Amino acid sequence: MRIVATDCGSTTTKAILIEERDGVFRQTFRGEAPTTVEEPFADVTLGVTNSVTELQELSGYRLIADDGTIIRRRSQSDADGCDLYISTSSAGGGLQMMVAGVVREMTAESAKRAALGAGAIVMDTIASNDRRKPHEQIQRIRELRPDMVLVSGGTDGGDTKKVIELAELIAPARPRPRFGGEYKLPLIFAGNKEARGAITRCFGGEGFALSIVENLRPTLEQENLGPARERIHDVFLEHVMAHAPGYDRLMSWANAPIMPTPGAVGDILQTIARGRGINVVGVDIGGATTDMFSVFGGVFNRTVSANLGMSYSISNVCAEAGMDSVLRWVHLDMDERELRNRVKNKMIRPTTIPQSLEALVFEQAVSREALRLAFIQHKAFATTLKGVQQQRTVGDAFSQDAVGKSLVDPMAIDLMVASGGVLSHAPRMEQTALMMIDAFEPEGFTQIAKDSIFMMPHLGVLASVNARAAMEVFERDCLILLGWCVAPKGEVRAGRPALEFTLSGGPSGGNAEVAKGQLVGGEMRLVRFPLGHSGKLEVRPEKGLDVGAGPGKPVKRTIEGGTVGVIIDARGRPLKLPTSPSVRRSAVAGWQKALEIYL
Amino acid sequence: MSARGSLWQRIVGGLIGTLSLAALGGVSVSASAAPPPDFVEAIDVPWDAGGVLIVSWRVDGDPSAITGWLIERREEIDGAKWVTVSELPAAAREVTATKLSHDHAHRIRVTAFGESGQLSKGLETAPTLAHANFFIGAKLPLFVGILVVSTCVIVFILSARAGRPIKIRRIAALDAVDNAVGRATEMGRPILFIAGIQDMDNISTVAGITVLGHVAKTAAEYDATIEVPTSRSLVMEAARETVQASYLSAGRSDSYNPDLIRYITDEQFGFVAYVSGRMVREKPAACFYMGCFFAESLILSETGNSIGAIQIAGTAESTQLPFFVAACDYTLIGEEFFAASSYLSREPDQMGSLKGQDAAKLITAAAIVIGVVLATLASLAPDGAFPAALTWFKGVLGS
Repeated sequence: MRIVATDCGSTTTKAILIEERDGVFRQTFRGEAPTTVEEPFADVTLGVTNSVTELQELSGYRLIADDGTIIRRRSQSDADGCDLYISTSSAGGGLQMMVAGVVREMTAESAKRAALGAGAIVMDTIASNDRRKPHEQIQRIRELRPDMVLVSGGTDGGDTKKVIELAELIAPARPRPRFGGEYKLPLIFAGNKEARGAITRCFGGEGFALSIVENLRPTLEQENLGPARERIHDVFLEHVMAHAPGYDRLMSWANAPIMPTPGAVGDILQTIARGRGINVVGVDIGGATTDMFSVFGGVFNRTVSANLGMSYSISNVCAEAGMDSVLRWVHLDMDERELRNRVKNKMIRPTTIPQSLEALVFEQAVSREALRLAFIQHKAFATTLKGVQQQRTVGDAFSQDAVGKSLVDPMAIDLMVASGGVLSHAPRMEQTALMMIDAFEPEGFTQIAKDSIFMMPHLGVLASVNARAAMEVFERDCLILLGWCVAPKGEVRAGRPALEFTLSGGPSGGNAEVAKGQLVGGEMRLVRFPLGHSGKLEVRPEKGLDVGAGPGKPVKRTIEGGTVGVIIDARGRPLKLPTSPSVRRSAVAGWQKALEIYL
Repeated sequence: MSARGSLWQRIVGGLIGTLSLAALGGVSVSASAAPPPDFVEAIDVPWDAGGVLIVSWRVDGDPSAITGWLIERREEIDGAKWVTVSELPAAAREVTATKLSHDHAHRIRVTAFGESGQLSKGLETAPTLAHANFFIGAKLPLFVGILVVSTCVIVFILSARAGRPIKIRRIAALDAVDNAVGRATEMGRPILFIAGIQDMDNISTVAGITVLGHVAKTAAEYDATIEVPTSRSLVMEAARETVQASYLSAGRSDSYNPDLIRYITDEQFGFVAYVSGRMVREKPAACFYMGCFFAESLILSETGNSIGAIQIAGTAESTQLPFFVAACDYTLIGEEFFAASSYLSREPDQMGSLKGQDAAKLITAAAIVIGVVLATLASLAPDGAFPAALTWFKGVLGS
């Protein structure tokens, strides 16, 4: 079987070839070409054809016909062509949506979750309690040019008054669609079913293409995002993509619906988390935005931090985190004025890459802060449902947990997946691993991996057509296993014993001792444990420190090797860097030396 | 009465004894009489609230003839009579006369009893005034305590005013107010607020009305309906003014409806019957019970639970807390309830005051722990230094 998958990004279109060899699906070749959505080409299929042509040249198979279309095989014996063609797209800024709901923390938040989960960028959330006056809300709606609007509000049989009030704000504001004014703006209503009649009357006229789906909060205790997400995908294809240049042709080529790129990434992470029964955190740090994905206990969440990125948004990262926070990760003497110039240069010349060690150290320090801030935003968004009735016993008198508790638990993270330029293209894998550890502060045992060539979007769509192929390629070719991070939760004392560890194993497992040692508070150590090796790692933390089994209790786990190995982090959690600049610099330099970050 | 009776018995006995002795041989009375005191002095107790004199006396003669002492007092005004202060054993040489008037001086007379009950000649003190002092020395620890508490409160208020962050632990019940009001808004149902069944002279009702102000403001912002049935007419008036002010501050004064805040009845179970019936019929999405509750707590909270409402309760009645904790989503327990206004308002003065009081409570708790430890050690090692340390510590605390 031969599968061609493309991802039409804003700047480049990436094509990969997946082949079944010896009963196993592997990614074999990769091609890349500039995206051609914008003028003068204004046809996305040209970029797709160019990237697949590169695949054709590398693989030796004929994949592109003379008319520029992708050749399909009629049988397995055909030498040329492919069996399946699938694609994702984030070209032209991806799917941009405006969402609305009655209460910001309830139906509006569910609507936002549905939109983000479907791969959209949420431009704004309108709610009856968003502390804006109606004229301000109308002004904002008029300013936005979304691809689609999602309106929610009220439980089934619940409030209709405010849902209609919301509709009466949006309808007269007449938000204009992004792609020209000749087509009707798609509007999905996923609210109180008793308000459907009034909503139809409100949006039934010209200017809106109304579609109604099941309520995404039929009761406050239940969230039903599936129908709204599916409808967003459908509308994305029917309306948004149909009006983007060349997408009608591209859709006719594809064997599966074209998905927004982040939606596809979310799908593959959910598939992996479900398949392995693990909790996953994924990040894709771009130039303008940072996408965070998480699956905890089977619940998927995605956030887009619109102003956190490594080129267009780098200035905002420095402003939001503060230059002091950025520079705390730097072990070299740097002139702050020069750094500010460097930040602005990166913003106006986004494709430049660091030319010196100093520039690299600084860029990676900025990325730590961007990732940290994005993770904070993600933790605040990925919460349990709000407005839910609690059941108590008398024993809860002094432990009355609040609703809206974050689902993201650093101790429960089993796998962290990194992607995006600064992480994927870091000169050394150790740098990627340390950036992830510093930003996300995982606790206990956590496996770290990176997306080799940003293949996750392709595999997300592939999972909907051929789940086995997607899983096999994901595990063998997509992920580069960097290794493991083992970090105790709790406050450590500098220089005092924090933990002891014993690592045993080898290429075929076994009990041969690989490494053994003791770490003091504030220390990091790297134990090389190559890819393909497996073994047992036993960690015995000191009293008050927890590596997963409770304070002071030892944990023994089976681990696999990685290109980096096992990083044992005895800096404590939450991570506190020394306050004195000189001590901090020497500590950071010590960690970098221990992990062989900058040789 | 017994002291007076005893005195008469002794006087009569003494007379009979004297007459008998005279009849038998003409022996002198003075030969067997108790010697009178040679010196008597009354001193006003310093640093006290007044009305107390310390009386001391001395006997130079043979004390073996003395069987006891009669202490009497007389106000230094015309027509005043001698009043017995106390009767003491022979060994006594000092007594504290209490409950004396501050307005006039007193004379104290000390008389000795002989073996047969006869009385010696009494000796009086000079008129002495047991006057009240400006400062009561025994209350010094209390004064120091008040100074410490006040200093804590003032320091924290000034600190809060200066913009220093004051951390107050999260109180889930108060954080959940937005959730409860949001639920009511999404479900299109009213919010029910009960400010207890007591009047405005009850501190819990006042605290409940404070919380009502916050809930009403949130309800106004969400444009939700809030109903406040009351069991006291004064509470209704206070609730109306509070809710009106909240709607005004939220910029929704037009949405304020005074008819939703109404007086039902003073009768405890009449009120409960009305509220329960209303809950079953209207099915409010959020119920707040903030105030003083008694037997009705479980009836109300169970009814609210059965209709699926988010329920938040707050009371200082320890007997009702288990019912609220079991039946409600969130419960403000005792102090949390009274701290609610500063927690909700986040005003520096209130926050500083709360923090200062917490610091004072911490000091008190530390004193209790030290006292318990010393008392335990003193009982385990009565011969060591701990009993002395315990006595000293009690002295420091003024107990």
